[in-house]
Amino acid sequence: MIPIEYWIIFSSLLFAIGAYGVLTRKNAIVVLMSIEVMLNAANVNLVAFSSYHTTLHGDSDASGQAFALFSIAIAAAEVAVGLAIILSVYRRYQTIDVDKINILRW
Amino acid sequence: MLEYAWLIPVFPFLAFMLIGLLPKRTLGWEDGGGYAIGGAVGAFVLSMLVIWDVLNGKTLTDDSVKTTWLVIGDSVSVTFGIWIDQLTAIMLLVISVVGTLVVIYSGGYMHEEGVGRRRYYAEIMLFISVMYGLVIASNCLEMFIFWGLVGLCSYLLIGFWYEKPSAASAAKRAFIVTRVGDIMFMAGLIILFKYVGNLDFSTLFAAGVARDAFASDPNMLTLATALIFGGAIGKSAQFPLHEWLPDAMEGPTTVSALIHAATMVKAGIYMTARTYPLLVLTPDSLLFVAIIGGVTALLAATVALAANDIKRVLAYSTISQLGYMTLALGAGGYLFIHAHEANGYAAATFHMMNHGFFKALLFLCAGSVIHAVGTNDMRLMGGLRKKMPITSITMLIGALAIAGLPPLSGFWSKDEVLAAVYSAGEFDWTFFVLWALGIGTAFMTAFYMFRMWFLTFSGEPRSEVHAHESPKIMTVPLMILAGLAVVSGFALFIGDGFKSLVGDSIGIHESEPVLDIAVEIFTDPLTYVSLVLAMVGIVVAYRVYYLPGFDRAVFARGVPGAFQRALENRWYISKFYDDFAYKVWYGFSVVADKFDRYVIDGIVNGFAYLGANSGTVMRKGQSGDVRRYTSLVVVGIVLLILFMVYILPWMTGERQWFWGWF
Repeated sequence: MIPIEYWIIFSSLLFAIGAYGVLTRKNAIVVLMSIEVMLNAANVNLVAFSSYHTTLHGDSDASGQAFALFSIAIAAAEVAVGLAIILSVYRRYQTIDVDKINILRW
Repeated sequence: MLEYAWLIPVFPFLAFMLIGLLPKRTLGWEDGGGYAIGGAVGAFVLSMLVIWDVLNGKTLTDDSVKTTWLVIGDSVSVTFGIWIDQLTAIMLLVISVVGTLVVIYSGGYMHEEGVGRRRYYAEIMLFISVMYGLVIASNCLEMFIFWGLVGLCSYLLIGFWYEKPSAASAAKRAFIVTRVGDIMFMAGLIILFKYVGNLDFSTLFAAGVARDAFASDPNMLTLATALIFGGAIGKSAQFPLHEWLPDAMEGPTTVSALIHAATMVKAGIYMTARTYPLLVLTPDSLLFVAIIGGVTALLAATVALAANDIKRVLAYSTISQLGYMTLALGAGGYLFIHAHEANGYAAATFHMMNHGFFKALLFLCAGSVIHAVGTNDMRLMGGLRKKMPITSITMLIGALAIAGLPPLSGFWSKDEVLAAVYSAGEFDWTFFVLWALGIGTAFMTAFYMFRMWFLTFSGEPRSEVHAHESPKIMTVPLMILAGLAVVSGFALFIGDGFKSLVGDSIGIHESEPVLDIAVEIFTDPLTYVSLVLAMVGIVVAYRVYYLPGFDRAVFARGVPGAFQRALENRWYISKFYDDFAYKVWYGFSVVADKFDRYVIDGIVNGFAYLGANSGTVMRKGQSGDVRRYTSLVVVGIVLLILFMVYILPWMTGERQWFWGWF
C-alpha cells in the first residue's frame, strides 16, 4: 500500500497548484478551474484518510468517501453558479478579467 | 348616609366632565355655568346630609369600606377609602358653602370672559372636586394624590389669563413653590411608610402604632412629622414659602376667593390637623409648627400694612390668618400632651371655618369692587360707599370679623387661638413670645383691614370711574357670606360646644356647659387685651385714612420711610428669591450647561467622529479586487498555521523559541 504521506504530499501539491492558479490568473474561468483543483485536493485527502481508516483504527469507516461524494456534488453546483455569474458578468462588461471587475466595493 | 360620602366629589367631577366634553351649543347659560352650579349644589346637599349625620354623633372612620389600590409584594397593600369625622365635616362645610357661593358669584363676575368661561368652570369644578376628595380621603397616599391635584388646579386657575406674562409666571411660581412643600410631604410619607408599613389613617393614628414603630429611633418620627408639616408650609403659604400666594392674585378674584377660603391653602391646615395624632408624639415638631405659624402671622401682617393692591392686602391677611391657625395647632399639641385638652386644636379648626367664611366674603367684595372700577390699586379707588352700598356694607362686616370685634365670628376664634397659645406658655416659655406676636398681629390686622376699607370706600373718588353696584347674582352670595361671617362664631356654643365636637376627632371629649365657655371668654383679661388692641388699630386707621389733616408723607421720609419701602418690597423676601434664582441658580445652570455641552456632548460627538473617520480609513480595504482578497485570505491562513504550529506551543511552553522549531 502506498504510504499515507505520499497521498498527503500529493494533495498538498495539488492544493498549492490550485491556490497559485487562483492568485495569479486573471481569466475568471481559469480561476474557477483552479478552485476545482483545490477542491479535488481536499477530496483526495478525504478518500485517502478514509481508506487508511482500517489501518489506523482497526475498523472500516466510509464516511470520508461519502463526504468526497458530497464535495463533488457541491463542486458541480458551484461551477454551475460560478459559470452563470461569469456569463452574466461578460454580458454586462464584455470582459471576464477579474482585475477589471472590481465594482463590488465602497 | 355617611357611606355615600364618596359621592360628594363625584358631583363636581361629573360637572367638570360635562363642561369639558359636551358640545358647545349644549352648554347653555354662561357657557357651562349652569352645570357648574348644578355640580356644586349637588355636592353641597350631600355635604349637608353628611354634616347632619356627624353632628348627630355618627362618624365613619376605621370601619369604612376600603378598596385595594395597590399591592406591593405579598403583604403590603395600599387601600383607598373614605374617612368622615368631625374635622372632615368642618372642611366639608367650608368647601361646600364657599365653593357653591363662589360658583354662583362667578356667573356675574366672569360674564364678560366669553369663551374662556368654559375652561374656567371646568377647572373650578375639578378644583372643588379634588378638594372634597382630599378631605374625605382615608389614606395618606390617597390624600397626597388629591393634594397634588389641588396644586395642579390652582396652577391652572391662577394662570387662567395665561396670555398675560405676569399671570403665567405667577402660576408657575405657585406650582413650583408648593411643589417644594409637596416633596417634603412625600419624603415624610416615605419615612412613615418605611417604619409603619401602612399609610392608612386607621393604622397610622391607632394608639401606640406609630410610637412602637419608631421606638428604635424616635428622631425619625420627629423628622417625618416635621417633613409632613413641610408640605403644609408650601400649601398653606407659611414662611418661608409664602411668597407664591400674593402673586397668585393674578388669577380671577373668584379663584383667589376659592384658594384662600376653601380649597388650596386650607388643605395644608387640614393636613396638619389630620396628622395630629402623629404630630403630638413629637413635641419638637410641634414647637417648629408653632414658631413657623407665629412668625408667618406677624411677617405677613406687616407686609399687608403697606400693600396698595386690594387683593394683595387680602392675600397677606390670609397668610397671616393661616399663621394663626398653624400657631394654634402647634400650641394645641402642647396642651394635648401636657393637659390633655383639645383647646388649641379646636381653636385652629374653628378659626379655619370662620376664616373660610369671612375671607371668601372679603375676596368676593374685592372682586365686586374690581369688577366695578376695573383696577386693583386702592390708590385709584375711594368714595365707593355711595355707589356700591351692598358691597361696602358686606365688606365692612368682613373687615370687622377679621379684625376680631364681638360678636362677629373672627372675635371668637381669634380669642380662642390666642388663649390657647397663652395657656401653652405654661409648658414652654416660647409660647409667651408667640402669643405676643399674635397680639401684635391682631392689632395690625385691624389696622390694615380698615386702611383698606377707608381707602376703598370713603373719601372722594381718586380716579374717573363710573362705578356701579354689581348685579344680584354677585351681591346675594355676598349677603349670605356676610350673614355667615356674623353668626359662624356662635358655633362655639352649639350643642356641647364646638370644642367637644372637634375634640372627638382626636379622641378628647370634654363637654363643658356652653355658658361656662362664654363666661371664661369674658372674664379672661387677655380677651380685653386683644379686643382693645384691635379697636386701637381701627381707630388709628380711622385717624390716618379717614379724617382729614393727617400728612401721610411722614411715611415717605426717614426711618418710617425706610420701613415703608421694606414693607412695599415685602421685606425683600421675594426679591431674595428672585436674586437667588437669577444669580446663584443661573450661575449653576451655566456651569451645568457648559458641562453638558462640552463634556457630555464632547464624549458623544467624539465617538461619532471616531466611527465616521475610522470608517473612512477602513473602507479603503474594501477594494473590490478579487485577487487581492484571495491573496489576503491565503496570507492569513499561512500566518494562522504558523501561529498554531510555532507560536502557540511556545506560548504554552511545549517548545523552545526558535531552536525548538526544528
